[in-house]
Amino acid sequence: MMSRSEETGVMESRTFVLRHKLPIARVEKYWKGLEEGKIYGTQCKACGAKFSPPQADCSYCYSSDMEWVEISGEGVIECFTQLYSFPQGFEFAGKPYVIAVASFGDFRIMGWFVSEKEGEVSLPQVGMKVKAETGQDETGVWKVYFRSVE
Amino acid sequence: MGSETRVGIIGVGCTKFGVRDDATIQEIAFEAVREALQDAGVTREDIQLSVVGTAGTRSYELMPAVPINEYCGFAGKGPIRVEAACATGSAAVYTAYTSIRAGIADLAVAIGFEKMNEVDTPTSLAVGGRSGSYLWEFHQYGTTFPGYYAMLAAAHMARYGTTDKQMAMVAVKNHRNAAKNPKAQFRKEITLEKAVGSRYVAYPLRLFDCSPISDGAAAAVLASEEKIKELGIDNVVWIEGVGYSSDTANMPKRADYAGLKASVEASQMAYRMAGIDDPLKQIDVAALHDCFTIAEIMAYEDLGFCRKGEGGKFIEEGESDFGGKLPVNTFGGLKAKGHPLGATGVAMIYEIVKQLREEAGDLQAELKNYKGLTHNIGGTGHFGWVYILGV
Repeated sequence: MMSRSEETGVMESRTFVLRHKLPIARVEKYWKGLEEGKIYGTQCKACGAKFSPPQADCSYCYSSDMEWVEISGEGVIECFTQLYSFPQGFEFAGKPYVIAVASFGDFRIMGWFVSEKEGEVSLPQVGMKVKAETGQDETGVWKVYFRSVE
Repeated sequence: MGSETRVGIIGVGCTKFGVRDDATIQEIAFEAVREALQDAGVTREDIQLSVVGTAGTRSYELMPAVPINEYCGFAGKGPIRVEAACATGSAAVYTAYTSIRAGIADLAVAIGFEKMNEVDTPTSLAVGGRSGSYLWEFHQYGTTFPGYYAMLAAAHMARYGTTDKQMAMVAVKNHRNAAKNPKAQFRKEITLEKAVGSRYVAYPLRLFDCSPISDGAAAAVLASEEKIKELGIDNVVWIEGVGYSSDTANMPKRADYAGLKASVEASQMAYRMAGIDDPLKQIDVAALHDCFTIAEIMAYEDLGFCRKGEGGKFIEEGESDFGGKLPVNTFGGLKAKGHPLGATGVAMIYEIVKQLREEAGDLQAELKNYKGLTHNIGGTGHFGWVYILGV
């Protein structure tokens, strides 16, 4: 029942569910790559510009002639946060999660920083060396996870 | 090129910020518009163009420009709906400003509003997080708006040694000012201990580093110099400079995290237009975008109030307080007055106009040059806007 409260002077709207289609056809290799443990960016064959996250078109020279480049090796944490207040859709996390951006050569990627010990939450530091892995969260979404290599 | 007419702000209005369950978006917009029209001494019939700014999504009314326009009696006078995330209000003022500069209108109103409390906090956090780059960030990593600024704070602290105590000092100053501002959401002073001891929302940002979830509206009436003469108005604040810029939506595509390029570029553009080469000497009072305490510290640096990396020292030495080199957020800032996204940029104009007209009461800054500045950021430096106002 939609209620009306005389105490608060408000009533409830009808429920409105928004669920969008995400058109990933032109960057499918990225999403397929995550399932294979690989992380890809794109590079413009015409001007050499590199993109992470990947894109199908070059924002600089307007070419659409792009190639896929694997992002690998050792990365460096550029910035991070640990979220204590969860947004709608991430209640499953259950405990504060750590989001970081790390640079791998010319590419930067976002990921969740996880500690070596299962279930333990530790914080990275700016400048910390990390490796990137891929995996699925509890909702089935594939993503990048960073682990310290120090 | 358009006309060379100067554009003046002849009236401003602002509602009380806070949780405004007592009113619809139409009703709070009306509150602000009525005050602005009365302040300008014009009627709704004098308005030729209305611009309605809101970041949107959190209110049940999804396309709110026309409902607001209807309620304010402006049907037929626009509206143009503007969105620039948390810098929406500045973009709305710019739309009114450029219409006048172009000679299309000679009297226009910019209305900014947001009702963020129509949804619950997890939903509000999701709307903020989904507004960066949904597919590559929120979808995978559950980013939030506090989280984005927290990442910048972590970078700033690591590079320059900025401390959580320095960040808390911004909160203490702004709460102290808001306590004297009847329009503020929080009218209570806080102690440094309370701020530094508060819980983390997004490490390293604590509860008292964050602006609240706010409802509110603000309006500004702008007119051409010719129209101002015709109306015989002499209580005018002129738009002397305006600058804008933007940056990437995706955080991994940023070159740096310890500052906002959009702030630097927007301020340089505004300074050039207004002939500002030494902001500390030429500007008397500033409204800086302190959605989070680290944002005010980075803004001191990005706008050239101090050297890069010395923002922490700037607050610590009281330079942004009354009696300092340049009083900042005398009205309480977004931190304590509140931050209803679409309203904020217009509300900053409201506060600086009040200062330059010497109507700020207990919060009046000392004026030497009669010039003020507003700095309004959308997202995490996704949009940057700076206005220089003068009388």
